[in-house]
Amino acid sequence: MGKLFKTTFSTAVIVLIPACIGINYIGKLFAQALKLPLWLDSIGTCIGAILGGPVIGGICGAANNLIYGFTTGDNITLIYALTSLFIGISVGVMARLGFMNSLPKALITACIGGLAAVIVSTPLNIIYWGGTTGNLWGDAVFAASQANNMPIWIGSLFDELVVDIPDKLITVIIVYFIVSRLPKKLTTLYDANSVVESLD
Amino acid sequence: MKSISLYTDNGSWLVKLHPFTKLFYLLAVILIPLIAGHLYMFGLTILISTLSLLSAGMLKKALPLIAFSFTILLTIFIIQGIFYKGNVSVLLSLGPVSFYKEGLLYSSQIGLNVLNMLLSFAILVLSTSPSELVEELEKKGFSTKFGYILNSVFQIIPEMMGTMHTISDAQRSRGMETEGKLITRIKAFIPLISPVVMSALTSTRERAIALEVRGFGAKVRKTYLYSHPYTATDQIIKWISLLSIVIVIALRVMHIF
Repeated sequence: MGKLFKTTFSTAVIVLIPACIGINYIGKLFAQALKLPLWLDSIGTCIGAILGGPVIGGICGAANNLIYGFTTGDNITLIYALTSLFIGISVGVMARLGFMNSLPKALITACIGGLAAVIVSTPLNIIYWGGTTGNLWGDAVFAASQANNMPIWIGSLFDELVVDIPDKLITVIIVYFIVSRLPKKLTTLYDANSVVESLD
Repeated sequence: MKSISLYTDNGSWLVKLHPFTKLFYLLAVILIPLIAGHLYMFGLTILISTLSLLSAGMLKKALPLIAFSFTILLTIFIIQGIFYKGNVSVLLSLGPVSFYKEGLLYSSQIGLNVLNMLLSFAILVLSTSPSELVEELEKKGFSTKFGYILNSVFQIIPEMMGTMHTISDAQRSRGMETEGKLITRIKAFIPLISPVVMSALTSTRERAIALEVRGFGAKVRKTYLYSHPYTATDQIIKWISLLSIVIVIALRVMHIF
């Protein structure tokens, strides 16, 4: 268990983080271009978490939202840095536990990541937006739950759940196929648990 | 290549301010209305931010930022106006639906908070070069490795956008459908994103080697070519911001508000 959070801050890992943040951005752009009702903006965070471990995943996630918040003026994403942080950590921990080795296991990782996002986002949504998420499908669920006099937090939880779980499922499936096809000479660069063997 | 940063150097007084001064201003403007807890305080801070943007000739560029979150705010007004828990008094009825005063007040508080934050952030974002902000932070002891992460995001994204366009064109010329039913569009996502991601990841290896050759991992202190001047205006704005936060907290504690 001690190796679960082990992280190296080698140059390769430092370079990986901006690349992952870029991937997040591109994923979001493609999702918008194809008019998908999902965010798909955590692909890079998941890749970072799987390659570099939970700490790198968390940094990728949090830095991602902080950078966009501070540069594009879209400070709505700023508070969701916390959500991204926990997505990165949870996916990283699952990957270290071996839950990215096969597709069915990867789906469990997706659900855990999605749940982490829901648990962290729901209070933020309630505090900041009064419960809505800004996603069309999710907000329809929220409006329906409020019309049926359910508590705000249940409505908001469903609102988030309806969007986050499918979103993370698709994200992790894509990530699984990409990561499993990466060349070994690349992935070993980021492996914190690797040891250098001497031939002498 | 198009930068993702919205910063442009138009030579106005906001650009000439030190990045830290704008951070102090941001802190004050966001905290004061929240501590005070009155709707008119939001009005005051929004007015100050708007006037600063106007005098620096940046208000026009700030409008798209506000328009972006406008739809979300509209949904909040509609949902909370109709379904808010504390709704008692009807303000206006449109056919079968009626908007309540409490829900609208609650959503206007959310809306004003968001507007206030957007405007104050617009000041920072539109008038501060990201690399300059990172450099000033590094001079104050911020980790240079993390500084590199922040700076390189701005170089990587335009580069990746370029790859993204190339790949979209290539896949489309091979006959991939990017429009139509939801399932078609989801299917199109994978052949679009995976080449971009793959190329981005494989290029990190070369970038890491290039950086190490140039002494990225060196343990010595960096030196800087450029230093942003810290003027008297900076001092004044910084102290006004900090003092006003203290005053508002004091007033709040003494129950004057």
